[in-house]
Amino acid sequence: MEPIQINIRQLFVLIVLFEHGSAIVIPLGVSAKQDVWIAILLGLALGLLVFSVYGRLFRCYPDQPLVGYIQHIVGAPLGKLLGIVYVTYFLYIAARVLRDFGELLLTFAYPETPLFVLNAIMALVVMYGAYKGLEVLARTGELFLAMLYVMALAGFVLVFVSGVMDLSQLEPVLEEGWGRVWKTVFTETLYVPFGEMIVFTMLFPYVNNPAKVSRAAVIGMALTGLNLAVIAAINMIVLGPDGASRSSFPLLDTIRRIQVAHFFERLDVLFMIALIIGGFFKISIFFYAGVVGAAHLFGISKHQRIVYPLGLLVLLLSIAIASNYAEHIYEGLKIVTFYLHIPLQIIIPVLLLVIAAIRRRFGPSTK
Amino acid sequence: MLFQWGMRQQKKRMDVKQEGSDYSGEASDVPQEPLSAELAVNIDIIRQKTGESSDVIIRRFALGQKWQIKAAIIFVDGLVDEKNVYEFVLTPLLQASFPLALEEKERFQWIEKKLAAVGGVKHISDWGKLFFELFSGATVMLIDGTPFAVSASTKGGEYRSIEEPQTQIAVRGPREGFTESLRANTAMIRRRIRNPNLWLETMQIGTVTQTDVAIMYIKGIVNDGIVKEVRERLRRIDIDSVLESGYIEQLIEDQTFTTFPTTYHTERPDIVAANLLEGRVAVFVEGTPFVLLAPAVFIQFFQAVEDYYARFDIATALRFLRVLIFFISLVAPAIYIAATTFHQEMIPTQLVIAIAAQREAVPFPGFVEALVMEVTFEILREAGVRLPRAVGQAVSIVGALVIGQAAVEAGFVSSAMVIVVSITAIASFATPSFAIAISARLIRFGLMFLAAMFGFYGIMMGILAMILHLCSLRSFGVPYMSPLAPFIPSNAGDTLFRVPTWMFRERPRLINQKNIVRQSGDQKPEPPAPSRQEKGDGA
Repeated sequence: MEPIQINIRQLFVLIVLFEHGSAIVIPLGVSAKQDVWIAILLGLALGLLVFSVYGRLFRCYPDQPLVGYIQHIVGAPLGKLLGIVYVTYFLYIAARVLRDFGELLLTFAYPETPLFVLNAIMALVVMYGAYKGLEVLARTGELFLAMLYVMALAGFVLVFVSGVMDLSQLEPVLEEGWGRVWKTVFTETLYVPFGEMIVFTMLFPYVNNPAKVSRAAVIGMALTGLNLAVIAAINMIVLGPDGASRSSFPLLDTIRRIQVAHFFERLDVLFMIALIIGGFFKISIFFYAGVVGAAHLFGISKHQRIVYPLGLLVLLLSIAIASNYAEHIYEGLKIVTFYLHIPLQIIIPVLLLVIAAIRRRFGPSTK
Repeated sequence: MLFQWGMRQQKKRMDVKQEGSDYSGEASDVPQEPLSAELAVNIDIIRQKTGESSDVIIRRFALGQKWQIKAAIIFVDGLVDEKNVYEFVLTPLLQASFPLALEEKERFQWIEKKLAAVGGVKHISDWGKLFFELFSGATVMLIDGTPFAVSASTKGGEYRSIEEPQTQIAVRGPREGFTESLRANTAMIRRRIRNPNLWLETMQIGTVTQTDVAIMYIKGIVNDGIVKEVRERLRRIDIDSVLESGYIEQLIEDQTFTTFPTTYHTERPDIVAANLLEGRVAVFVEGTPFVLLAPAVFIQFFQAVEDYYARFDIATALRFLRVLIFFISLVAPAIYIAATTFHQEMIPTQLVIAIAAQREAVPFPGFVEALVMEVTFEILREAGVRLPRAVGQAVSIVGALVIGQAAVEAGFVSSAMVIVVSITAIASFATPSFAIAISARLIRFGLMFLAAMFGFYGIMMGILAMILHLCSLRSFGVPYMSPLAPFIPSNAGDTLFRVPTWMFRERPRLINQKNIVRQSGDQKPEPPAPSRQEKGDGA
C-alpha cells in the first residue's frame, strides 16, 4: 500500500460526492411515484444497516482494504478469486456509470457527437485523476462539494421563485400502500447509491483517523439521503408524479421550468455542471478502487502503472456493454441488481462478517 | 532515494568547496596559487588575468619614512566609493610611518589598525579570494616583500535609488519598492521588522557570476523544515550565472511542467515583511528588485497587499471580484465559442438574434474568429510591452482602430467578438498577479479549442482537469490549494474572504507549524461603555 493519507473531512466529502454522483440526475426511484422520497429514506435506512456490516469488517482489519482481508477471512485461493471478482465489479460499474454519463450528454446536449468521443474525454480526465491519486481526488472534491452546494442552493431558490411548485403533487401519501414503496426500495434505492458504499471498503485504510471512519460514513450517507429525498420531492412537486416518472432526467426538466425575470431561464448549464461533477467523482472512485484493488492483488507497488491500461479497458467496456441505451437500462435494472448488486453488496459481506466472527471465536488468533 | 541523492550532491559540493576555499573557480582560470612576495610579479598577474581592463585601477605608492617600500592599491572603478578609498585607505597609510622590521603577522595587524576607519579588513593569501573581493567592491592592497594582500571594504558606486514599485501598485500603502541592491533590499525589511529573530543567510550562486543570494526568515515563526528545504535546493544549484531571481525560481520550484507559479515574487517590501511574519522564506538575489517568497499557495495570487490595509468588507468584495476576473479571463472567449456554435438555445432569444445578425457577414466559424482576434490581441500586447514608450502610443492607436472598428466594419469579425476580446483583455490586466494572469492566458487557448470541439462539456472537462492539476501541485511540500483544499477552517478567513483584522488569530497552519498564534483573541474594537451621565440622559 502506498503511504497516502486523507483526513476524515476529505473522506466525508468523497462519500457525499460519490453518493450524489449520478443519483441526482437519473430518475431514481420514480416507480414509487409521489412516495419517492419515502423510498429514498427507507433505502437510506436499510443502506445504513448494510453499511454497518462494512464498518464492522473494517474495524476487524483497520489496515487492509476489502481485497486484502477477504483473503484473510476465506483463505488465499478463494480470497484471491473473490478479490478479482470485486475488482472486476468495480471496474464494470465504473464503465456502467461512464456509459450512463455519455448517454445523458448525448441525449440532452450532443445528439451528433459520437458516444465514444464523449466517453473518451471523461475517461481521460478520470485516468488523470486516478493517476494523481486519492489525495488529489479528495482535495478536488473539497473544492467541488462547496461549489455543488452553492449551485444547489441557487437552483432551489430559483425554482421556488419561479412559482412552479405545487405541494399537492405529493399527495396522496402512500396511495397504493407500502407495497409499491418497498418494491422500489428493494429493487433500486437500496443498491444505488447506498449499497455502492462497498467501494469505500477499498479506501478506508487510507484514512488517517480509523476510529472516526464509520461515523463520517454514516453522516455522509445520511446527509446524502436527505438531499436526494429533498431533490426527488422537489422534482415531484414541480413535475407531478406522471411527469417525473416519464422524464428521463427529472432534474433537468425541473431546471428547465425555471423562469425568473426573463433572464434566469434555460439554465441547462447548472444541470450539466451537476452531472459532470457527480459523474466524475462516481466514476473516479469506482475506477480508483478497481485500480488499487488490482495493484494490491497482483503485487504492483505503484498503482500508476496500471491506470492507463485499465482506464482504456473501462472506456472500451463502456461502449461494449450494451448496443443501445434501452438495453443498457434494462441490464442495469434487471440483471446487474440481481446478479451483481445483491450478492456483492450484501450476501458476500454478510458471509464474510459471519466467517470472521466464527474464526475469531473458535479459531487460533489470526492477528 | 531522494534523500540519498541530496546527500551525494551535498558531498560533491563540499569537495568543490575544499578545493577552492571560498571561491570555486571551475569556470574561470583564476589560479588558486598563493600570491607572490614580489609586488611587480603580483601586479603583472593581475593585469594579465583581467586582460588589462581599463576599469581595474592600480595605484602604486610608497611606504616607510624614506618611501623605500613599494606598495599598490587595486580597486575596480565604479564598484567602489572613490572618496572612501582615498580618504580612509590611502591617506592613513601614507601618513603613518611604516615599520620595517615587522613579522608577517604583525604587519597585517598593523595595517588593520591603520585601516580601522573603513572596516571589513581581510587577510588574503590566494588569487581566487583576491579577485572575488576585488569584484565585490573591495580595495585590495599589496606590499612589496609581503606574500599576502589586504582587502578593505569600500563598496559604493551607483545604484538605482529607491522608487515606487512598477508592479503591484497600491493606492494605500508604502510607496517604496525594492532596488537592484541586495543590501538596500534587506535593509528595507530590517527597518520593518526590528527583531533579532529576523535571520539572513547569504551564499554565492553562479560559477561565473558569483551572485549574492540571501535567504531571509524569522526564526521561531518559520517552519524549520521549509528553511532547510530552501537551503538544500539553493545549494543544489550548479549554474554558471544568476542574472535574475527567475533563474533561481525555475531551479528550485517543485514542478516545472505547470503553467501555474509555485513561488511568489514581488517588488514590495511590505508584502515580503507580511509573508515573513506568516512564516514564509524570502530569497533575495543581487541585481534584481524581485524577491521570491516560498512556499506559495494559489489563493495568494488573488490577494493584493491593499486588502490588508483596506477595511475587511471592501477587501472581501474585491477578492470575489478578482476571482471572477480570473474566471472571465480564462473562459470568456471559450464560452462565446461554445454558445454560438453549440448551445444557441441557452442564450436569450433577443440576444441570439442580435449575435446571429452580426455574424451573418462574418466568413469564419466562431472558433477561427475568436482565435484570430485573441492572437491579434496578444500580438498587440506584446508589442506594447516591448516597444519604446514613444512608439507604444502608435501601437495602441493602430490596435484600437484595427481590432476595434475596422475589423468589424470590414466584416471580418462580429462586434460581439470584439466585446468578448476586450473584456478578456481587461480582465487579464486586472488580475493582481502577473504570474497568474500569464498562466490564464495560456490555458485560455486550450479551453477555446475544447469549446470549439465539445462546447460547454469541453470547457467543463478542461476546467475539471485544471483543478485536478492545481490540487496535485505542491509548493515546497505545501499543497497549492490550501487552505481551501485541504480545507483548514481556522485559516479560511484569509482566502476568498478577508475577515476583520482582529479575527486574524492564526498564521497559516501548513506553512507554519509550531508558532501558530498571531495575536490575542479578544481585540474586537467596541465603543467605550457609556458613562453614568449619558445613561441618565438616555433615560
